[in-house]
Amino acid sequence: MNIKRASAFLLFLSGLTAVPLLAAEADLKAHIRTLSAIPAVTGSEDRMAVKIREMLSGRLNVETDNLGSIYARSGKGEPGLSVLAPLDEFGWFVSGVTADGYLRLDRAAAPPHALFDSFLMGHAVVISTRSGLQNGVVAQPAMHLLTRERRDELQKGISLDLVYVDVGARSEEEVKDKGIEHLDAVSFRPDLVTLANDLLSGPGLGHKAICAALAMAAEKTAAARTTPAAYFIWMAQSRFNLRGGGARVSLGATRAQMRLKPKTVLLLEILAADRGDGTPSVGKGPVVWEPQEKLSRLRAALEKMAGERGIALQHQTGGESPLLRPFLATESDALILALPVKFNQTPSEVVSLRDVQSLVELVADLGQKGGDL
Amino acid sequence: MKRLAALLLLISSTFFLAQAAPAPAAEPASAWELLRQIVMIPGISGQEGKVIDFIRHHLPSGLRPQGDAKNDIWFTAGEGRPHLLFVAHADELGFTVAEVTSQGTVKLKGRGGFLPQACEARPFVIHTVKGPVEGVMVPRADLYSEAAQPFAPETYELDVGAASDKEALDLGINPGDQVIFKKAIIDLAPGILATRAVDDRAGCAALLAAARDIDWSRIAGRTITFAWSVEEETGLHGARAMTSSLSPDYVFAIDTFVSSDSPLENKRFGFARLGQGAVLRAVDSSNITPRSELRKIFQLAENKGIPVQARSSRGGNDGSVFVAAGAVDIPLSWPGVYAHSFIEKIDKRDLDALSSLIKILAEEFR
Repeated sequence: MNIKRASAFLLFLSGLTAVPLLAAEADLKAHIRTLSAIPAVTGSEDRMAVKIREMLSGRLNVETDNLGSIYARSGKGEPGLSVLAPLDEFGWFVSGVTADGYLRLDRAAAPPHALFDSFLMGHAVVISTRSGLQNGVVAQPAMHLLTRERRDELQKGISLDLVYVDVGARSEEEVKDKGIEHLDAVSFRPDLVTLANDLLSGPGLGHKAICAALAMAAEKTAAARTTPAAYFIWMAQSRFNLRGGGARVSLGATRAQMRLKPKTVLLLEILAADRGDGTPSVGKGPVVWEPQEKLSRLRAALEKMAGERGIALQHQTGGESPLLRPFLATESDALILALPVKFNQTPSEVVSLRDVQSLVELVADLGQKGGDL
Repeated sequence: MKRLAALLLLISSTFFLAQAAPAPAAEPASAWELLRQIVMIPGISGQEGKVIDFIRHHLPSGLRPQGDAKNDIWFTAGEGRPHLLFVAHADELGFTVAEVTSQGTVKLKGRGGFLPQACEARPFVIHTVKGPVEGVMVPRADLYSEAAQPFAPETYELDVGAASDKEALDLGINPGDQVIFKKAIIDLAPGILATRAVDDRAGCAALLAAARDIDWSRIAGRTITFAWSVEEETGLHGARAMTSSLSPDYVFAIDTFVSSDSPLENKRFGFARLGQGAVLRAVDSSNITPRSELRKIFQLAENKGIPVQARSSRGGNDGSVFVAAGAVDIPLSWPGVYAHSFIEKIDKRDLDALSSLIKILAEEFR
């Protein structure tokens, strides 16, 4: 018998399964599902970084800097285009443990809105420890024991002063035995919900979707036969803002700007949608978002490609973006292409798979054009 | 080459068998195992059918379950006095579909029984004739405003992703469908879990486990009824209906003890600690159990080494509707932490103690 041949055949079979997911053009939904299960709180993005690197094939030259940002480069020569997305999401970290075994929380990055912390009460969370994820729930008063006054008070919203995470421990020692340490990241428990019309929902889902979209677009770009040089960057600590100077400026974005000094920058971001105030809508295409409207070369190229592909684009002008600010301060041609997210920055962000797919196609097209826009 | 083909056949057939013929799940026996299954079954007040079916299916053979028009279910063994009734409620908190809007959202009926803001932007499931449909509770419109008003909608609304009423109706959504929180069992530590509807599926499971553990042929000189009621959460309606069929001397309502063993609660009352055993809910909002009866139970429990604590708390119980006709109501419980939330917490040790206590009372209490 040809054991050698059988072994070789089995090796071949096993080799097939080891091909990176994206190289095998696996389903976008599966990618989003994979990333949706991985916490990536600002300052603790390492798990997400590992998973994204696993999704990238050897066709890309991938580096990670000392903050944890991923720089994936396609092609050769001077990069003409840099596409950046946040690697991190808003969340919390363990700031203390009570004598009776409850975790106290703090935040590194400012919350995205005033009621963000209020969603914690009664919610399941995960604690990212060195040895893996630990389950927790945030204590909520029993309905039967609430006085009307206290109930009314709680309805106004809560601060982190009222947040206690229950991990099923009775003492600091038991918490320690679970491998939970100070500074471990805490985020909402992932729970992907499937809605009609190719909509998905879950905590931090907008962010996870653009991370997945960038990974797919980078792979598609790298797989093209003639690939000009382009950078694809997942920025760690992008939700953490630099101090001083008044305006809010993203640390992760500033790092990327100083390292690459890119000429042409496309930032992938999430944008609150369907707020009933003229904001963009989920399912109607990615959003060209400019704090100040200007018809740049990049925007013209993007709109041309969208037109050629039959991809609808939405537009929003105004607002501010700490991600964009470092690039606006230079001569970069910088633009935000945003994923519209309904119920943005709640435990049930809603995104459209079609919008994410459009992002992938547009970014991949741009990547293949490189600096030749 | 034949050997290679045989090897591949073996691999593929093993794979096929693993996919196509999984080993059957072991029949659950312990209260904890039963809880982990029964807690996931949808069954709001008035729509407890699947929960009742589960209970009926897991009853020991030889017992003859009876029911009433409400869909309460019970079985009785033995004869004579005293007549002991043990009752747990099968229903859970939730909503029903009120209407589908022209925009495709789903307006809900009822207040759910939860802290309103705990429902905001959270996932729920509509149980339709076509199967479960997931949706998200629409958050307040001014969520991002610095002056946001409290989340206290007159009518709760779900976004299921449909863009029109036709799309929503095509999903199978109809007025009256039950709507419950999207459940998941959160294992916090070995033997400690948190999820929705521990109230009162833990009681159902403890009672069912005891029913499976008792040698019913040895029940003599007394009458024992085990019952699972409906519509407790909406006003003890199932138990009230049972009063026309059952006239117990003692009723043991098996239901949550609303515990203040939480960092957010005042410990002045309700402080039954998690993991310290079953609870005699001696005083609540619907009943006061005579101290003499409590002492009898403590004695029986002590003899059997079953940890029991007696405490006072809030809330009503099914047993209270039998008191006016002459029964003594002795609610049995476990320390239920975060009651009426989506993360109701329970300790296996307490559930085991409760199930053991039910068994010993059924066998020996007079």
